[in-house]
Amino acid sequence: MRYETVIGLEVHVELATSSKIFCSCSAHSYGAEPNSHVCPACCGMPGMLPVVNKRVVDYGMKAGMMLGCHINRTTTFDKKSYYYPDLPAAYQTTQWFAPVAVNGVVEIETSKGKKNVRIKQIHMEEDAGKLVHDIREDTTHVDFNRTSVPLIEIVSQPDLSSAEEVEAYLERLKTLLRYAKVAECEMAHGTMRCDVNLSVRPEGSNKLGVRAEMKNMNSIEAIKRAIEYETARHIDAIENGTEELRQETRRWDDIKGKSYAMRTKETAGDYRYFPDPNVMPVVIDDEWFDSIKASLPEFPEVKKERYISEYGLGEYDADQLTKSIALCECFEAAYGVCKSAKDAANWMISEVMSILNQKKMTYDMLDLDGKALGELILLVSGGTVGRANAKKILAAMFDDASIEPKAYAEANGYVVSNDTGMIEAVIKAVIAADPKSVADYKSGKEKALMALFGKCMKELKGNCDPQTLRKLLIDSIS
Amino acid sequence: MDREILRRLELLNQLSLTEQEKESVIAFFSDREKDLETLDAIDTADVERMVHVMPIMTVVREDKVSQIFSREELQAAAPETDEGYWCVPKVME
Ligand SMILES: [Zn+2]
Repeated sequence: MRYETVIGLEVHVELATSSKIFCSCSAHSYGAEPNSHVCPACCGMPGMLPVVNKRVVDYGMKAGMMLGCHINRTTTFDKKSYYYPDLPAAYQTTQWFAPVAVNGVVEIETSKGKKNVRIKQIHMEEDAGKLVHDIREDTTHVDFNRTSVPLIEIVSQPDLSSAEEVEAYLERLKTLLRYAKVAECEMAHGTMRCDVNLSVRPEGSNKLGVRAEMKNMNSIEAIKRAIEYETARHIDAIENGTEELRQETRRWDDIKGKSYAMRTKETAGDYRYFPDPNVMPVVIDDEWFDSIKASLPEFPEVKKERYISEYGLGEYDADQLTKSIALCECFEAAYGVCKSAKDAANWMISEVMSILNQKKMTYDMLDLDGKALGELILLVSGGTVGRANAKKILAAMFDDASIEPKAYAEANGYVVSNDTGMIEAVIKAVIAADPKSVADYKSGKEKALMALFGKCMKELKGNCDPQTLRKLLIDSIS
Repeated sequence: MDREILRRLELLNQLSLTEQEKESVIAFFSDREKDLETLDAIDTADVERMVHVMPIMTVVREDKVSQIFSREELQAAAPETDEGYWCVPKVME
């Protein structure tokens, strides 16, 4: 029998706000001392009242709009009962009855073509703290720095059917949320986390199989491995009766390449959601709604089309540049200065992107001043700096954001010389030192000219217009 | 409301009730169930969901960071702390 895998995802994304969702503690605690970004509210002290961070609602709405959702203009917070020391209030403040965004759709593309994945809802909630189990044998250590950091949870319908589709879906979420600048979405940093709900059924059946929820996958690769393992486990259980499938939460162990049952899945009722009496409804009026709508970025596809029609870029170049909003911004800023879309695209794709690849950085990690890149491009096209030296300047700009290309070129002797007397003196010396190449060239060997040209360029440290050098060299020999 | 549901609620709420308390809780919730049945008889198909009992909405705050309390103040009443952490009974993963 043939089987199909039915997958739905719950994706948690940390919103890129400065402060926490219900208090003004910093939301950024990477490398901070334990419990240095905490207050009575996020520590769950009795009597404290939450105050909603406006930007969390802004970003929740924005994410909803990016993913084609309907925005609930009155959105409310609810308590989710949960006893574990990483949430000191013994409940999580989240959204259950009226989440900020519902009923969206995301289009993905895989080797099998395009497909729509429906979004059930996006809700805003607080993150939990961190527990450290290995400092001492007799106690668990608790750090509340991450408690109440704002998250959105994006819940998809069970519309995905393979690891490839899941990867495409996650990449698409990442691209759209980064375009909107609401989140970093970096699994390696924990700013995007993904739980996978998976079941298997005979192909064509419309009855869902027994569902397992998988947690603890820390990369897209781990998610793909977990899906493949779990699919095989389910099929084996159905076909060979190796085990009885149960609705449960399973923990993925990426080193062992196996999943383990954690606990039987709590049903929604067990969380005993109820409206949080401490947070009044958030009412999004027209002005607020319209201002968020107006702040939405150009979608990647729209940008790509514009790069082709307005800037005259080729399909491939436009596709490469629109892979990440960081690339687009750098390109657009460079183009604004150098006024040549082709030059700017060329530098972005053949130099900037290849440096990122060499440094094993993602495109989103690009932190280069696009205007400075534009100035560098102008120095090259204007003949002030040779291309080889310009690449050196670019490499330096990656390491030091304060570098101004022109000043740096001057300070490091990268400026092309227009002093023909000096160039001729260099040529004279090179010719005198290499009579063989001169003779070879005269007897018709074009390659010999390149050897002499290279030696002169080296002597001149690349600071010479290649056309001028070539002309002067030929004149000197003949 | 019966003994089985109550047992489950006790577990979820981490409570342990005496026999007498159990009797009164079951009696109380059984009465409330009857109230709900009465309410259920009303046709509310055309009524919009009430979000809050008062026509009231939240105020929001600007996304600004401030650190008002020190860790020492917050941990002053804690039974045990260690290296800046709160200590709790060992929880097994
Ligand atoms: Zn706080």
